[in-house]
Amino acid sequence: MRHVAVVDLGYGDAGKGTVVDWLCATRPVHTVVRFNGGAQAAHNVVLRDGRHHTFAQFGAGSFHPGVRTHLSRHVVVDPLALAAEADHLATVGVPDALDRLTVDGRALLATPYHRAANRAREIARGADRHGSCGLGVGETVAYGLAHPDEAPRVADCRSPALLRRRLTALRDRLTVELGQLDAPPVEDCLPAFTGFAGRVAIVDDTWLAGALRAGTCVFEGAQGVLLDEWHGFHPYTTWSTTTFANADSLLAEAGQPGGATRIGVLRLVTTRHGPGPLVTEDVNLPLADPHNPTNPWQGLFRFGHFDAVAHRYALAAAGGVDGLALTHLDLAGPGLRICRRYDTTDRLTPGPPGDLDRQAALTARLLRSRPVYDDPPSDWAEAVRAELGAPVVLTSHGPTASDKTPLGPLLAPPALARLA
Amino acid sequence: MGSGTWSTDVYDAADRYRRSTGRSAFSYSDSGARTVHPALDPRDAMRESRDSDEHPQSTPVAVLFDVTGSMGNVPRVLQTKLPQLLGLLQRQGYATDPQIMFGAIGDATCDRVPLQVGQFESDNRMDDDLGRIVLEGGGGGQMTESYELAMYFMARHTRTDSWEKRGRRGYLFVIGDELAYPRAKAREVAGLIGDNLAEDVPLRQVVDEVTRCWDTYYLLPAGSHYAGNAKVLDFWRDLLGQNAVVLDDLDAVCETIALTIGLGEQAIDLDEGLRDLDRAGSAATGTVSKALARLDRRRRAEVSTLPAFRDTAGEVTRL
Repeated sequence: MRHVAVVDLGYGDAGKGTVVDWLCATRPVHTVVRFNGGAQAAHNVVLRDGRHHTFAQFGAGSFHPGVRTHLSRHVVVDPLALAAEADHLATVGVPDALDRLTVDGRALLATPYHRAANRAREIARGADRHGSCGLGVGETVAYGLAHPDEAPRVADCRSPALLRRRLTALRDRLTVELGQLDAPPVEDCLPAFTGFAGRVAIVDDTWLAGALRAGTCVFEGAQGVLLDEWHGFHPYTTWSTTTFANADSLLAEAGQPGGATRIGVLRLVTTRHGPGPLVTEDVNLPLADPHNPTNPWQGLFRFGHFDAVAHRYALAAAGGVDGLALTHLDLAGPGLRICRRYDTTDRLTPGPPGDLDRQAALTARLLRSRPVYDDPPSDWAEAVRAELGAPVVLTSHGPTASDKTPLGPLLAPPALARLA
Repeated sequence: MGSGTWSTDVYDAADRYRRSTGRSAFSYSDSGARTVHPALDPRDAMRESRDSDEHPQSTPVAVLFDVTGSMGNVPRVLQTKLPQLLGLLQRQGYATDPQIMFGAIGDATCDRVPLQVGQFESDNRMDDDLGRIVLEGGGGGQMTESYELAMYFMARHTRTDSWEKRGRRGYLFVIGDELAYPRAKAREVAGLIGDNLAEDVPLRQVVDEVTRCWDTYYLLPAGSHYAGNAKVLDFWRDLLGQNAVVLDDLDAVCETIALTIGLGEQAIDLDEGLRDLDRAGSAATGTVSKALARLDRRRRAEVSTLPAFRDTAGEVTRL
């Protein structure tokens, strides 16, 4: 049984959600597994009848009856946002999202204290914001690294006394560091977290191994490789491994190493939400994104021409793919160009994970780089294949699953699913 | 990179989980309760569905289900499904201002809690009633439960503005898998409901009374002990005609009830209703279509002003 892993080779927003929705629409999928990020993900899925949901923690296959979501231990779980998201799903015809959810008990919990600390820090950065979403995901990871044995985890929600102790310690540490936090008292937080534990199936690592044996699973990445904590352009990165690495480790732990087809998602227009390098940015591109409005934490949604240099770098950092999914082909036109090299650079090479000085130097270099453009290709799929050295196996010309076309056999729907 | 789309308010989340958890467990029953919860006690009770400024055209809907052992896991499945009913009715606009009441039916000859009836509610307070229902799990094995007492209660202990002001019947759904007793026994009525009757009331009379102001349906679901048993279906067909409906997938119970009401209110025809379900991503269209085909045919016949005939040459049915 071949699983599929979907990763964004840009700065996020390339269309992972719509690709995952298409995969679940065209074949029987048992579970969508989230393997990084947290509630700050925003994967938009639009159905043909106009229903729309921005998936943050639930898998983007949830519109398809029976498709489960598993939040693996690599996800930062936010039970507060999860409840609101489940309620919205119910209003768009998915009343049983919580019943189809499993969460690994070892996953870190995002809490109002992490969120308040995240916002306090980002506000203190003033004009030098990192592009944080203000949901405390990075703060949660940082606390988990600093205090691995005391960081609140999903399984703690089943033990109110333990959770109370850990939330109190967390609040006290962050208050000492940052001053009074804009967050509710610990006692007020407990009902939400214990309510979560009472409603959602909290499982151990054997659950995922069982799911991987029971049927096809889709590993849905969050954010993009160019925002990766080690390979992204420091400090404009996310506290999350956005490559295939976490999916690879989960598959290996479950006894199925290398068991997934690796799909890299690219958007015809390279975009970025938040500050940081976007070499091909062009404010004159006549584009807007209906699902990414300007927001106080990330500002304007930025558009640029197809940046093959950055995407080649992402592909190398991700360790290669079996195929590419190219989205937003409906935006192709004479105004949209391709950048194959920068004025001083042809190629960016990933360094070893962990060398943030090197990444910061790379960022400085990118901020000085100017794009060199070629004329728009007549066949974008072929041009992208040639530049990245990987086949384009899926193209997308619009927001819904029916706007997708598989190229070649790799993602072709199984005959049985098509009949159904 | 994404953004914060969903509310992270801690109080709001606690409330959302509280509501969604109340639905998923018979908390009262599971905590060991073996007597009727005061909120559901039928004794000397009158249940009312009234109009209000907020809900000026109330449509009463009562769903009473068998909680004895023969129903197996059915009550627990129903309890997870039924809270969606109100949303389904409101979202699709099948009924104006729906007010829903839940209740449970046992066996008065051997059960401790043979009848439980909640209040008509137009918000999620009805979920609380679901959580207070005591599951019997017993039953006598004689293929009979006290449905007649439940229908007696509905006939004589409910008041609705829908009927009193507008002459419109409410909707009563009884979900079960066995026969009713032949009479509502005066002794049981006195003990459970508090009425002093001179004599027993025959089942036929109970049905006549309840169907006067309640459009009454019997749903026989899959997964129950006697599901598909011809004797049970024949018994209810004899009493309620086509309103005795077989449901081959319990997951479709809310959709079936909603579409039955939509058909009854003439808000939709079956095809439209099935299209609505399909659009909403429901997997229940097959089951609902099968369950309601007979009802729909009868309705179409009822509204026709000319006799229906089949143009055999053109394969066209004209009304």
